[in-house]
Amino acid sequence: MFTLIIVVAIVVVLVFYAVFLYNRLVRLRVEVQQGWSNIDVQLRRRYELIPNLIESVKGYAAHERGVFQAVTEARTGAMSANGPVATGLANNALASALGGLFAVAENYPDLKASNNFLQLQTELANVEEMLAASRRYYNSTVASYNATQNTAPTLLVAKVGDFAPAEFFEEENEAARTAPRVSFDQ
Amino acid sequence: MTLQQQIRSNRWRTLLLFILFAVLIALVLGAASLAVDLPVLILIGAGMLVYGIVTWFAAGSLVATLAGATPVTREEYPELWQAVEAAAVGAGLAVTPRVYVIQDPAPNAFASGRDPKHSYVAATTGLLEIMPQRELRAVMAHEIAHVRNRDIRTMALAAVLVGLLLILSDILLRVLVFGGGRDNQNPLALIGTVVALILAPIGAVMMQMALSRRREYQADASAAEITGDPEGMARALGILDTDTRQVRHVARATAHLYIESPLVKGKGLFGSLGGMFRTHPPMEARIAALEEAGGFVLDRESLAADMPAGVVTTVQELS
Repeated sequence: MFTLIIVVAIVVVLVFYAVFLYNRLVRLRVEVQQGWSNIDVQLRRRYELIPNLIESVKGYAAHERGVFQAVTEARTGAMSANGPVATGLANNALASALGGLFAVAENYPDLKASNNFLQLQTELANVEEMLAASRRYYNSTVASYNATQNTAPTLLVAKVGDFAPAEFFEEENEAARTAPRVSFDQ
Repeated sequence: MTLQQQIRSNRWRTLLLFILFAVLIALVLGAASLAVDLPVLILIGAGMLVYGIVTWFAAGSLVATLAGATPVTREEYPELWQAVEAAAVGAGLAVTPRVYVIQDPAPNAFASGRDPKHSYVAATTGLLEIMPQRELRAVMAHEIAHVRNRDIRTMALAAVLVGLLLILSDILLRVLVFGGGRDNQNPLALIGTVVALILAPIGAVMMQMALSRRREYQADASAAEITGDPEGMARALGILDTDTRQVRHVARATAHLYIESPLVKGKGLFGSLGGMFRTHPPMEARIAALEEAGGFVLDRESLAADMPAGVVTTVQELS
């Protein structure tokens, strides 16, 4: 009788502990999802700015069609990408296409001085800053979510509860993905 | 310390703070009961309770009023807004805190509110004037870190309770001096009561200070994480340290909220008593902690060379 009580008590404690660990994983996963939706908001702001930017440049340099097409295509590619890694890569392509657009703009002093273009440039810079901030936050949530999944005893709960590691979102390059949680890049 | 641990530790500290203050208030009331009539005491106690509850829910706006901070729009201060928004997103806050500005030439900033959803960050016009973009982002990230780490709740509670205790002992002292005391008083009990009434608020202020010092280091570290730029944070602290101006409207009860101690640097009673009453760790120690965590050395010469033009380094006359 006594041993039975002990066994039942131990089982109850273990079940409670497992539920506690499970809830922690769920909470971390929610944080990752929230982090990703933050990034999504900023990415959409970026996509929305691009047509205006193209129009603005077109007004001064209508014949630079190749650049406009490259940016438009890169934008479509980025908008249709799914998942953090694919979205990151597509946005890399978009960033370099945008770099091409700004390089073209360099050749048109009137364009560079126009209010509309300057305002769009400022807005894009603001979006880029917010994007970088949301990326830092998102990656830190991914890091702690994945680390919790890979350490005992949460490891067991994660296996049973069907938790999958989340993907990091890196825009610059693949290698940076293994960078520590706190990055001190300038 | 991870963020979750920090939030949990803040929760415990808030509780501990509350209990300690309850004990202090009970002690004050107990000491007063030796010399003051019970009905008077009950009246004062009830008044204090109401006062405490009201100030707790009004804590955020009260602190803003005390500091002379008013809400501003994005159109008025686009750069400040952008810095606050970027920091809020980097910290993963669900709601961007409101943005307040204080008309004051001295550079300083603080965050307040009951919880992240009812919070705001305030910057002085002096801060906006002298801080370059990079350092302004660091300062705002420091304030957002206070919001995210739930420091603001603990700090708002500390402000309310310290204020409460100060007023309570003030009222009781007046009652004792100007009548309302008992006729058959034991002079020894009277002296004991007066001493207790004087010591209690000092104890409360010291508790408030001890609570706020450690969280400044934590907020610096969190800010470096939010912006990914510990050197920017160190540079901002260096600039704040170099500027000698002090914020004009500071109530003692809200001194612990600011990024840089708004109280006169190293002067008078508070200065000479050393670290005991200091609300903030010395700037050099904070910069050193950032250097160690970030693995860099702040180039003080280059910082001194491109010190923003608006920084005032002359010692001002105390009015």
